[in-house]
Amino acid sequence: MTTQDQITYDPVTFDIIQNALQAVADEMFVAQRKTSMSAIIYEVLDLSTSILDPNGEIAAVGAGIPAFIGVLDKAIHGILEKFPLDTIRPGDLYATNDPYYGGVTHLNDMVLAAPVFSEGRLIAWVSNIAHWNDVGGMVPGSMSSDATEIFQEGVRIPAVKLFEEGRENKAVFDILYVNTRLPDFLRGDLWAGIAGLRIGERRILELVKKYGTDTFEAAVTAFMEHGERRARAALKAMPKGTYTYEEEQDTGQIHKVALTITPDEFIVDLCDNPAQAGSSNSSREGTEIAAQLAFKSFTDQDAPGNGGFFRPLTVKTRPGTIFHVEEPGALGYYSEVEIRLFDLLLRAFAHHFPGVVPAGNFASICGTVVGGPHPETGRHYTIVEPQVGGWGAWQGNDGPSGQFSGFHGETFNCPAEVAEARYGLAVDQVALNAEPGGEGQWRGGKGIDVHYRVRADNNFLSLGYTRSRIPPWGVDGGLDGSTNYVEVIRTDGNRERYSFATNVEVNTGDVIRVVTANGGGFGDPAKRAPEDIARDIRDGYLTPERAREVYGYDA
Amino acid sequence: MAETITRVSTDVGGTFTDLVYFETDAATGIQTVRTAKSDTTPPDFEKGVLNVLDVGKVDVGKVDMFAHGTTVVINALTERKGAKVGLITTRGFRDSIEIGRGNRPDFFNLMYKKPPPFVPRYLRHEVGGRMDYQGNEVAPLDLSTLDETLALFREEGVEAVAICLLHAYANTDHEVALAEAVKARWPEVTVVASHQITREWREYERTNTTILSAYVQPKAQRYLEKLEAGMTEKGYKGQLFIMQSNCGVDSLEATKAVPITMVESGPASGFWGAAELGRIIGEPNILALDIGGTTAKCSLIENGQAAVKTDYWIERNARSAGYPIMVPVIDLVEIGNGGGSIAWVDDFGKMHVGPQSAGAMPGPVAYGRGGTEVTTTDANLALGRINKDYFCGGTVEADTEALDSALAKLADKLEVSPVEAARGIVRIANSNMVNALKLVSVNRGYDPRDFTLVVFGGGGPMHGVALGRELGVKKVVVPRGAPVFSAWGMMMSDLRRDYFVTRLQDADDAKSLDDLLNHTMELARDEFAREGIARDAVTLVPQIRCRYQNQEFGVEVQIPAGPVTEDTVRDMIAQFHVNYEREYTYTLDAAVEVTGIHLIASSEVGKLEIVPLPKTGATLADATKGRRMVDYATEGSHEADVYDGDRLEPGMTFDGPAIIEDAGTTVVVHPGNHVSIDDFGNIHIEIRG
Repeated sequence: MTTQDQITYDPVTFDIIQNALQAVADEMFVAQRKTSMSAIIYEVLDLSTSILDPNGEIAAVGAGIPAFIGVLDKAIHGILEKFPLDTIRPGDLYATNDPYYGGVTHLNDMVLAAPVFSEGRLIAWVSNIAHWNDVGGMVPGSMSSDATEIFQEGVRIPAVKLFEEGRENKAVFDILYVNTRLPDFLRGDLWAGIAGLRIGERRILELVKKYGTDTFEAAVTAFMEHGERRARAALKAMPKGTYTYEEEQDTGQIHKVALTITPDEFIVDLCDNPAQAGSSNSSREGTEIAAQLAFKSFTDQDAPGNGGFFRPLTVKTRPGTIFHVEEPGALGYYSEVEIRLFDLLLRAFAHHFPGVVPAGNFASICGTVVGGPHPETGRHYTIVEPQVGGWGAWQGNDGPSGQFSGFHGETFNCPAEVAEARYGLAVDQVALNAEPGGEGQWRGGKGIDVHYRVRADNNFLSLGYTRSRIPPWGVDGGLDGSTNYVEVIRTDGNRERYSFATNVEVNTGDVIRVVTANGGGFGDPAKRAPEDIARDIRDGYLTPERAREVYGYDA
Repeated sequence: MAETITRVSTDVGGTFTDLVYFETDAATGIQTVRTAKSDTTPPDFEKGVLNVLDVGKVDVGKVDMFAHGTTVVINALTERKGAKVGLITTRGFRDSIEIGRGNRPDFFNLMYKKPPPFVPRYLRHEVGGRMDYQGNEVAPLDLSTLDETLALFREEGVEAVAICLLHAYANTDHEVALAEAVKARWPEVTVVASHQITREWREYERTNTTILSAYVQPKAQRYLEKLEAGMTEKGYKGQLFIMQSNCGVDSLEATKAVPITMVESGPASGFWGAAELGRIIGEPNILALDIGGTTAKCSLIENGQAAVKTDYWIERNARSAGYPIMVPVIDLVEIGNGGGSIAWVDDFGKMHVGPQSAGAMPGPVAYGRGGTEVTTTDANLALGRINKDYFCGGTVEADTEALDSALAKLADKLEVSPVEAARGIVRIANSNMVNALKLVSVNRGYDPRDFTLVVFGGGGPMHGVALGRELGVKKVVVPRGAPVFSAWGMMMSDLRRDYFVTRLQDADDAKSLDDLLNHTMELARDEFAREGIARDAVTLVPQIRCRYQNQEFGVEVQIPAGPVTEDTVRDMIAQFHVNYEREYTYTLDAAVEVTGIHLIASSEVGKLEIVPLPKTGATLADATKGRRMVDYATEGSHEADVYDGDRLEPGMTFDGPAIIEDAGTTVVVHPGNHVSIDDFGNIHIEIRG
């Protein structure tokens, strides 16, 4: 029995309320996914939903991707900074997409949040965040690798009330509707989000009616404490000390981290990092998300990802750096900054605590945008998709091939048959990457080598890939993997290689070749079992020449 | 001698092979039912089927209709005991089966083990040639490498060749030619081409489906042939019907050609039984829940129809992406919570129930077979919900000593009393099942208050009322014969085939839609004619899959099975907006496109028409066994009336708290419930208060 304020609660009732909160978050997720207009929401799942306590600590999350799990607490904190708790009223509904006002990620991601009241007091928040295809700015899709200020990236909604005590604030809707190239999509996605919040609020009130406000609040508190207990238990088992790591990036810059593990804190110090520049910057809150993700993978994968779990984690940043961008810095490609940090932390773990994490993976969203007229229908199409790539090996296992990055989860790629019909591109091949790299006692998984042949003139290509010069890292003598890039093969045979680009023109017959990295190897290649080498040769993952070169293997 | 119509169904389960025998006297209409059980006999499952016919003393020569359900396909898949398969696919795409869809349900696990393809890369070969998405040939089929491929396949001991070419759903010519070329060069090998199974797009799903079909084909074919031979030897003269995953039965011949369609036949027959039950009792909207030993499965039936989809995956769970099988399967959700699910306490003092199960061996602690971990069944026993003096219908003496000691241990870990621990197990199990039922109802936009909850399987009636109240359903119905409900459902099934065909086109192109529908309806009539069914005896229900242009999710819209005219299309688009709004809560002023058709073809093949039970004039007192204390978990302990389920008759009514027991199951009736027995012997429980 758990005793709290002299009232005795039944632990099974707590479990049932906690399960029910998860079911509500999932229901909000499903409802919004199904009603959204944009493929990036319903397929790529750039969407998450949360139920939070009055102070904005996460109680339950519905998410399609891990990188969106710890987002909405930071959003509520941003909203509460502008609107103190005692000014929040029933029927209010807040919107923010501006990372300088609780928006967390970039302007494309719109946060909606509504307070839930019972017995006259605020007992919870329901909130969601989803990627909108276009919020204005200097390029279609709003994200540009050329942006240097947030003003170039679209309309800024700095934590405002969409509804005030139930009354629609029509002015904000009107501003949103005109600041997009795709007003129908924006309207559909906005109302999908509002509908999702209403379902969440209704379900929470049903729970409260059934169990009582006090029990509900006590269950949420107990759940946070449970999360914190699990994190602290994991922390206890870790060797204490300070661990540093630094890594060169594609740009030539050096990223640095100092990890300090004490009996009750896990400190990620990122103060010594490059000054902000261009649109590859992250807000401080975005940086925290990447650190949380690594912290959870490292400590307790199965614990609830609630606010309590992350209490022992402290992230230190310096304003004005890529990990703590200051206004008016641009953030379009924040996700590549976050994933570089996530990968740096994993690499630091691998270095200092061998064996706890696999060798490096392709570790980039590999965001790829292709658009233009469909050759048969003449309608304009846009592909906005991340890519799959090779993952790193670990003790006893070769890495998996063709998986989305660690920031993704239940994200699905687009089948070639669907892509050919919907986009009018020809997909000439969907193959594993045949380049060498990632060999070891256990080898890295394979990236991909996919060929899109353009079938109409005046199409465009934009992309943001990292790990395009510095390959995924091998561990314990395992070899580094290969790199991520896009090659445009022109009809005259000329080849252009890209990692970051905006609006590259592609025309009939041009082939867009998407290549993602093979993951890093684990362990000395000399120790690889001969039967594994023979199997790789038989399966065509390895050429006999390369086998001789890296494994000293003669068939 | 009176004319009788005899129907038999057999269902091969993991432990037992069940038989239900239904005899209808043509003159009086009186129906007699017999059930029998015998051991399942792996690997020669047909022996168990032939055995159970002997055990049930069935005169096979007099049987008019024989329906059969089997787990042979799902077993071959889960135990990885299928054929060695080689794949031939379109040039440039042999890795598509290894890349899959790239998703990873286990978010924080960086050591994710991706499900390996059933065919290793060296047995995945390519041929030149290309179709486009409209079915036009872009490059001719190039068989110049085929001899080399087949030589390697022979050398490597390949037993079945799977063929899946890009866009074969739109044009089958290359696949047909390739399959014929393989058969001509290698007549002994099993050949399966994707178009024989599905005409839908998505190459990963279609290729995997073809591979898994080839994988189970030799084994399933042998099984069905032996079953047929055994039945013929016993004197059976009728047609053998095999249960499918789409809630219908199909002929043995058709099933032999594409056995993968049997993959979820067990659950499908139970849920179809629930749909038919709903029709009989006038409840077209049903939430159906089947609680077995290791899992609980649920499905939603709307207007008498179970949704049949081709979005089915095996081994897909929170840890793994699993493998898709793109065949028509009833839409269901399965969770690892059954009577045998084990209750355990984690390192942080939280109790969980399942997904580990005590299985048949050692089974629950109270079986006294050495089990030491408390299961849901044990908790039900400890709370007096199950009668300890009538455990498993009186066939097992409950080992209450072992149970008390195991429960005490669990309670210590939780720092609560044993009774609280047992209540906790039941409540957590219920909470897990409620969440599964929400997945098929509220999460898909349905309000449980519009539904009747039908519960079956050994554990369904024990938990049904608590779940029904939590969900707020209209009422809970426990069907007569709840433990053998799957076999019952099989006898109610029609011969049914679902044709899914992908075609991306504008919704207002009536001519194109008409061509596609006509072609598919003709195909269905031809195929049914081959089963001896007159062309006009085939019921055809065309559903068109529509969506707003460029969306991913859409809805099916039913249209008349006649020519598609401009009017048909106009009505279809109007109905689309209505259906879409019901499912997604809004409509758009946007163009509508068609992504394909789903044609349901069916024909009655002597299915059972159930008649009311006779009344003997017995009173409720005759069915009363006594009273005992029962713990209702959240509602505390109450003295309950105990009734013998076999002696309840139509028209009887009573109130809870009560327990209804028969050999196969226990119905837990909570305080305040009102019970009535309908004309067919089904138990209706109204949840009041």
